[in-house]
Amino acid sequence: MQWNSIRTKVLAALLACLTVGVGGILALMHYSFERNSQALAAESITGAQKLFSILETREISKMTAVGDTLAMNPQVRDAFAAKDRARLLDLTAPLYPQLKSEGITNWMFHTPEPDMVVFLRLHNSPKFGDALNRFFDKQVARTHAMVTGNELAKAGFAVRIIQPFYDAQGVVTGYVEMGEELGQFIHTMKSQTGSDYGLLLNKKFMDRQFWADSSKVWKRRDNWDDNPGFVVADKTSASDSIFRFQGNLATVPEQGEVLERFQDGDSVFVRGIFPVRDAAGNTVGAMFVVRDISSFYLAMRRTQRVLVLLTIVALALGTIAVLTLLTRLIFRRLDHIVVVATRVVGGDYKSEIHVSSDDEVGQFEQLFEQFRRVFVDVLEHVPELQQK
Amino acid sequence: MSQLYEIKLRIEAKIQADKLDANEVKGKIGLRAGKLLAFISADTPDDPATVTKLKQAAKDVLNLAL
Repeated sequence: MQWNSIRTKVLAALLACLTVGVGGILALMHYSFERNSQALAAESITGAQKLFSILETREISKMTAVGDTLAMNPQVRDAFAAKDRARLLDLTAPLYPQLKSEGITNWMFHTPEPDMVVFLRLHNSPKFGDALNRFFDKQVARTHAMVTGNELAKAGFAVRIIQPFYDAQGVVTGYVEMGEELGQFIHTMKSQTGSDYGLLLNKKFMDRQFWADSSKVWKRRDNWDDNPGFVVADKTSASDSIFRFQGNLATVPEQGEVLERFQDGDSVFVRGIFPVRDAAGNTVGAMFVVRDISSFYLAMRRTQRVLVLLTIVALALGTIAVLTLLTRLIFRRLDHIVVVATRVVGGDYKSEIHVSSDDEVGQFEQLFEQFRRVFVDVLEHVPELQQK
Repeated sequence: MSQLYEIKLRIEAKIQADKLDANEVKGKIGLRAGKLLAFISADTPDDPATVTKLKQAAKDVLNLAL
């Protein structure tokens, strides 16, 4: 192969096209995958936020209905108005296991202001008489209207309602409160979407000792020291690595934030996070959303391979076609001219150039044939040659 | 007999011995040397430059050392 031949140059140009083509496809596919995975992550965050909100609303409605039903029960109403704790416990305790099975894990009665202490804890009846002094308590005492929302207690995060309880004369006799652990929401969300979720709580709003104690009670590993600013309150995946987060929960934007894509073994995930606020509007935690996009990634890789293969095949066929055309239209005819010219110089004056077409090379063939005839005519008139 | 003519005879002898296409080989040598072999006769005067070119052409085309 001659490195300066047209054939080599054309081949090099086509190889350059192939490289650029394949590189372009790879870059395009990568860009497309990046865009789509970002879109999937953003969609997962939006979907999770909506679902979380729906579940919150549904559970608040459920607890409100239970509270309203209790308020209409004259025996319960009278027992609470009389501050007969034993009677109230007798009347309500049978209901608690059923409510707990429905997710209502916290149920309390509070005395009215100004002292506003816990009168009865259905989920821990021996403990009472303590004042909680939370946003919820202050708000309901101020407005005498139902207050709903999330509340981060010392050791956990729950969606709660607190509503006033009235006696037969319409006087506020205290408040009833119910709550559901937000951690259980994520398991419902996983069963509905297939994505994994993690509920992160800001340590600033929590009590270290209470978290350690509750970890013992719930027989969970004390993960307080796993992350500097937050604890993972609950998660739907056994993997800790997929919930890695280096940022500050307080700065997560309201609409959520798409985090980096990452690979764990053969699986590819996109991740996102959105803030979870308490009833007072503080960003006390965040919901981590992890979506497995392995199937999408594999489909993209398959498409990428097919496209690369098709490009290579198309350009290889194109190369063959171009080189075949060049050989037929140019190289073979130029070779013929070279052979005839050589033979004429060697003494074969009868060799002729056949003009095969009127294209550019054909015009050159015609010109060269005319030149050959003139040359042969000159030679035939050279005296030295005539004598031989 | 000139040296050029002697070289021409050696080339023709080689072509005949190897049963090569005479027109093609002579053409290639003539083009490389810049001299038509048909013009070389016994009394063609020697020109050192042409002798050198013809020897080199014979070497390149026929691998004939002269």
